[in-house]
Amino acid sequence: MKRRQVVKALAAGAAFYGPWKVNHVWAQAAQKKPLVIGLTMDASGQYGASGADERLGAMLAIREFNEKGGVLGRRIEALHMDTETTPATGSRVAERMITRNEAAFLIGGVHSGVANAISQVAQKYGTVYFNTNSSSPTESGKDCHRVKFVWDGNGTNFAHAIVKNAMKVNGRNWVLLTNDYVWGHNTSKAMRGIIEANGGKVVEELLVPQNTRDFTSYLLKLQQLRPNVIGTAVGGDDIKALRQQVVQTKLDRSYAWINNQQDWPDVYGLGPDAVFGVFGTTWYYRLDLPGVKEFVAKYQKTYPGVQIKVPGNVFHNGYMATRELLRCIEEAGSTNNLAVIKKLEGRRMSAADRLQHHDAWIDPNTHQCQQSIYMAAYNDKPAEPDDIFRIMSQVPPQEVADQDAPKACKLESYAQTPSYEQ
Amino acid sequence: MDWLANLLPHLLNGVSLGLLFALIALGFMLIVGVMEVINLAHGSLFALGAYTAIALITYKFNFYVAFLVAPLLVALVGMALELCLRRTYGKDALYGLLLTFGAALVIEEIIRLAWGSGEKQLMVPAELSGAMVVGGLIYAKYRLFASLAAIALIFALYLFLEKTPYGAMIKAGAHDSEMVRALGINLTRLRLFVFALGTALAAIAGIVLAPIWGVRPHMGVDAVVPAFLIIVLGGVGSFWGAVAGGLMVGIVVGVTGAYASEWSLLSMYLLLIALVTFRARGLAGRKTALEN
Repeated sequence: MKRRQVVKALAAGAAFYGPWKVNHVWAQAAQKKPLVIGLTMDASGQYGASGADERLGAMLAIREFNEKGGVLGRRIEALHMDTETTPATGSRVAERMITRNEAAFLIGGVHSGVANAISQVAQKYGTVYFNTNSSSPTESGKDCHRVKFVWDGNGTNFAHAIVKNAMKVNGRNWVLLTNDYVWGHNTSKAMRGIIEANGGKVVEELLVPQNTRDFTSYLLKLQQLRPNVIGTAVGGDDIKALRQQVVQTKLDRSYAWINNQQDWPDVYGLGPDAVFGVFGTTWYYRLDLPGVKEFVAKYQKTYPGVQIKVPGNVFHNGYMATRELLRCIEEAGSTNNLAVIKKLEGRRMSAADRLQHHDAWIDPNTHQCQQSIYMAAYNDKPAEPDDIFRIMSQVPPQEVADQDAPKACKLESYAQTPSYEQ
Repeated sequence: MDWLANLLPHLLNGVSLGLLFALIALGFMLIVGVMEVINLAHGSLFALGAYTAIALITYKFNFYVAFLVAPLLVALVGMALELCLRRTYGKDALYGLLLTFGAALVIEEIIRLAWGSGEKQLMVPAELSGAMVVGGLIYAKYRLFASLAAIALIFALYLFLEKTPYGAMIKAGAHDSEMVRALGINLTRLRLFVFALGTALAAIAGIVLAPIWGVRPHMGVDAVVPAFLIIVLGGVGSFWGAVAGGLMVGIVVGVTGAYASEWSLLSMYLLLIALVTFRARGLAGRKTALEN
């Protein structure tokens, strides 16, 4: 081959492969490794309905960020595994997501036992974990962790908001119905403390095993005890069954019922009769605040086929928590866990941004989000069929703060927390 | 005597609960007894009964029509399941177990696809809703109806099994299927019928219990575990054993629910352990050759 032919061939080759090579390099640079977020949410068991709802919230926040190009130029991949409302499954799922799927962050939790189990695994690896919807005071108390952030109001917050007023209105003799697991026990403990500190008396505390479906023996016992007020710390499918059976016996009319916290998926669709008593929540879809209507419209547009037609507190927590995590990563300019944790600790979030009445913040000593607590009851003048709550009052976070949590919470130091960057 | 007055409502409640447990267990027992198949899809068929009734009521049928028609529709599903099971007869019991387990998952997912995973309500007619006062205590009217329905169904099934030639064939099939076949009885058809009957009973139990427990796709799990426990407690294959087992479980759960509530769910398992420790074949189970 002549030299001129060789030069021509090289020139042709360069002309052909050159741009491809450049494009290939460019494509590699643009296609950064996706950021994997593990959604540790129940799809079955006692909190299957709430798990599905908070998942929708997290997915919406992720979708919004992906539409803007992801976070730090990386697409966000959500990986969901069913934690089955079972602590052992929660541990297994967390371990798998962190070690096999390289999940950089974990989000999700309704059952406090499951959330605690996940957080122990997360702390071992230093993986930031958001407990979105579980409410045992122990989650930001004795079971707190440096990597764990708790986004729901807890049993003590709700008890502060509701119990004193209920004692004034209804009387001093209380019976507590307590779901027999960590959230139920600690929520009832908080209620008992406030009742007794204000001169009331807990006549009896009836423990309700998880997955109880027939409450008749409890309802008979309640009638024999004749309290002024029945305070319940019962959740998930159990509270659905309890509400239905109370309505059947019309005992909703004979006693004052206080439900420490009422999650939206546990009451939606049960019918107006089942919404009795006074209960606590952190958000309602008809709060008269700027942005709420748009938020509801966005939910309905994104999820037109879902059974729950309007978002509730569980969805709201899932969305707000996930959005805040992604904002913190952007602000930190890194997925380094310690950098993100530092962005979260003491973080202040405006009321307008969170669609609530009061500013919220993350307590740096307990990692619990301090937020507005609402007292609600059945709405007998609904504006539309889903308008089943009447918000009676909104309480600022300062007034319902869990004073015991900072004493019980001992966060691991930064040095004790493994550092990573995915 | 105050303690007795306090205890009595809980004993009666336990009996009522026990009748409902027995109702759940009978269909399960029938299939285990005759087919020697542990039907793990029993709980899903129980749930399907409740959902089918809701669907019928949505289409403007009343509660009583739904109560009669829904079990027949679910029985058709049971028959389809029996057709699938035929290849497993005479093989290791694990095949049947796996197949019914798979069927349970499929039925539950179909329920989710068709009706969603949220809570549903099975509305009862006005005459059955509300409460009544018994001995100074308020009791749900529907709970009384459910107990009476359970009694009626238990006796109807008993009369069918004891007083009709079909019942005799079913019992004979449970005892010695080869002999039944040798006598010229179409065992294939008999098994199909038994499966349909057992499935219809699961559906009836699902409908009766739906207004009490609420309706959700995984509600069958809450039914199949006590059903399994009751037939072991009563003695596998024994009709009255299952009824007695159901009543014992109901009374134990009802009374512990009132006096040591945290033990109420556990109490049925403790009862099983206690009974099986002293009488391994259950209350009315037959002696095995090894025991003679």
